[in-house]
Amino acid sequence: MIIVETKNLSKVYNPDTVPVHALRDVNITIEKGEFTSIVGPSGSGKTTLLNMLGGLDKPTSGEVMVNGEKITGMKDSRLIDFRLKNIGFVFQHYNLIPVFTARENVSFIMLLQNRDKNEMMKRTDALLEQVGLGDRKDARPKEMSGGQQQRVAVARALASEPKFILADEPTANLDSNSAMNLLDIMERMNREEGVTFIFSTHDQRVIDRARRVIKMVDGAIAEDTLISVEAANQ
Amino acid sequence: MYLKLAWRNIWRNRRRTLITTSAIVFAVIASVFMQSMNRGSHEMILDNMLRFSTGYIQIQDYRFESEPSLDNSFPFGADFEQNLYEKHHRIESIVPRIETFMLAANDYSTRGAVIFGIDIEKEHAFNNLKDRLKEGAFFDSNNQGAVLGEGLARRLQLGVGDELVLLGQGRFGMSASGIFTISGIIENPIRDLNNQVVYLPLEEAQYLLSADGHITSLLVNPVSDRHTNSVTSALRTEFENSELIVKPWPKLLPELLELFEFDLATPRLLTVILYMVIGFGFFGTILTMTMERLKEFGVLLSVGMRREKLALVVFLETLFISFIGVISGIILSWLLIFYFHLNPVELTGDAAEAVMDMGFDPILPMSFASDQFYTQGFFVFVIAMIVFMFPLIKILGLNILEAARS
Repeated sequence: MIIVETKNLSKVYNPDTVPVHALRDVNITIEKGEFTSIVGPSGSGKTTLLNMLGGLDKPTSGEVMVNGEKITGMKDSRLIDFRLKNIGFVFQHYNLIPVFTARENVSFIMLLQNRDKNEMMKRTDALLEQVGLGDRKDARPKEMSGGQQQRVAVARALASEPKFILADEPTANLDSNSAMNLLDIMERMNREEGVTFIFSTHDQRVIDRARRVIKMVDGAIAEDTLISVEAANQ
Repeated sequence: MYLKLAWRNIWRNRRRTLITTSAIVFAVIASVFMQSMNRGSHEMILDNMLRFSTGYIQIQDYRFESEPSLDNSFPFGADFEQNLYEKHHRIESIVPRIETFMLAANDYSTRGAVIFGIDIEKEHAFNNLKDRLKEGAFFDSNNQGAVLGEGLARRLQLGVGDELVLLGQGRFGMSASGIFTISGIIENPIRDLNNQVVYLPLEEAQYLLSADGHITSLLVNPVSDRHTNSVTSALRTEFENSELIVKPWPKLLPELLELFEFDLATPRLLTVILYMVIGFGFFGTILTMTMERLKEFGVLLSVGMRREKLALVVFLETLFISFIGVISGIILSWLLIFYFHLNPVELTGDAAEAVMDMGFDPILPMSFASDQFYTQGFFVFVIAMIVFMFPLIKILGLNILEAARS
């Protein structure tokens, strides 16, 4: 089942002065349950592509379909609601709400979805247990390590039960142990619950775990490699 | 949770929030204090004017306003009074007066005088008039005689026991003249009246002026100043189809109101300047709080928070800061004013003498009117709304990607 699809996606910055082609006719499809890394050197367009897939940026031409719905050209307020229901985000700098505890950060997303309070609390606790932070529910971001904060960010991204999760350099600010720990969690969620992950990354540790690697060069897809589960596990 | 988020956000930078709220507290206290001092002296002047001159509400013949003559007096008796007390429970006192101008003379000279025919017991119950006596008594044992204002007595060089001649015109052109023994000298707190007034017993005055059973004005005083309008309305309904009209004190003393308004212009201007300064400080805080969180706003919009909900959170933050300042300011200024209301600052030296010459106590009275407290809340709320425009515009026009990258 196709979750995300792009058709001839292009993005040109400064079209009237010094045009910079960030994306050139990108066509990709992401199936449900994929664990995909978008890789490439700086300036290759991977973050731009991720922003397009998340509806955070508008293409110059082409379109993005999420779950069969065209998000290109959607009105701002509808797009915000669409993201809330369909897309989870994990940022490089965690970006948790600093005045909220781990539990509040996770449940806040469900509050935005107007979910039942009891259901919200149960799901929050379950997610924090899943990411191994059952004992840090009441800690605020500044009281947690980078790895712990990023795990809260993953729990937050999962809270809204999105169709897929976009993770922009999720391990860039983490030490080896924290990065491996985070990847274990995401991989387990993907394997056991079928959560679709799309990463943009430089990190070889992430690339090594991915089951599909899309390599970008100068805004275009240079390679698109499927890796077998066995190979990824080796 | 939005409330919780907003509340915690304002304490992210505790020192900044405390400085901003302290500035608002200072503005509220300064503003209330200035107003209280001005209004306190106005209230004292007004109280004297109402008690010794017009009363809170007056009932008059409708022609009396354009032609204040005895011809436009109206009949008044015990039934009339009883009827008003029975129908209107918010009336505290009813004071009948007959008022006219006459010539007052001694053996050698003549002065213009304002004659008040009064029921001394009712008058005293309303304004403690007997306490203003400098000499003698309010009328003799047969309820006869005249009481003069101190200024008039001095001008005519008359004292208690001397005789005063009153000469003028009574009702419907009848000549009016009489000789009265002076039973007392009074210090009227209204300077003009002090130099002109002659009090006579009501029935004596009515007889002198050929106006038996008639009065020119009936002072009606509500149990509280705040009931003036409601009692006025009720009385107007009652006298709708008669020749009597009902006038509350603002209609009776329009010049005084204008004077007060003029006098309040300076403190109001100072308050506006004070609030403008505070407003800019407040704006600075909200500006900083907004600009340093643009990235956070971008992230919140990315993960699905609607712009209007984000604006609501920032609105609550603005409201919290202003409310903390206003509530603290009101509590502190209430305590301060309460203290000075009970222990007014005493004037000394020339200032004290000047005030005493006008018949007032030598103090700086402070008003305790409730509206001067809550109007500050309204002003700060308006400032908060203006200040909130900045984050609102910023949030509504925020480019998510640029903000998230900032």
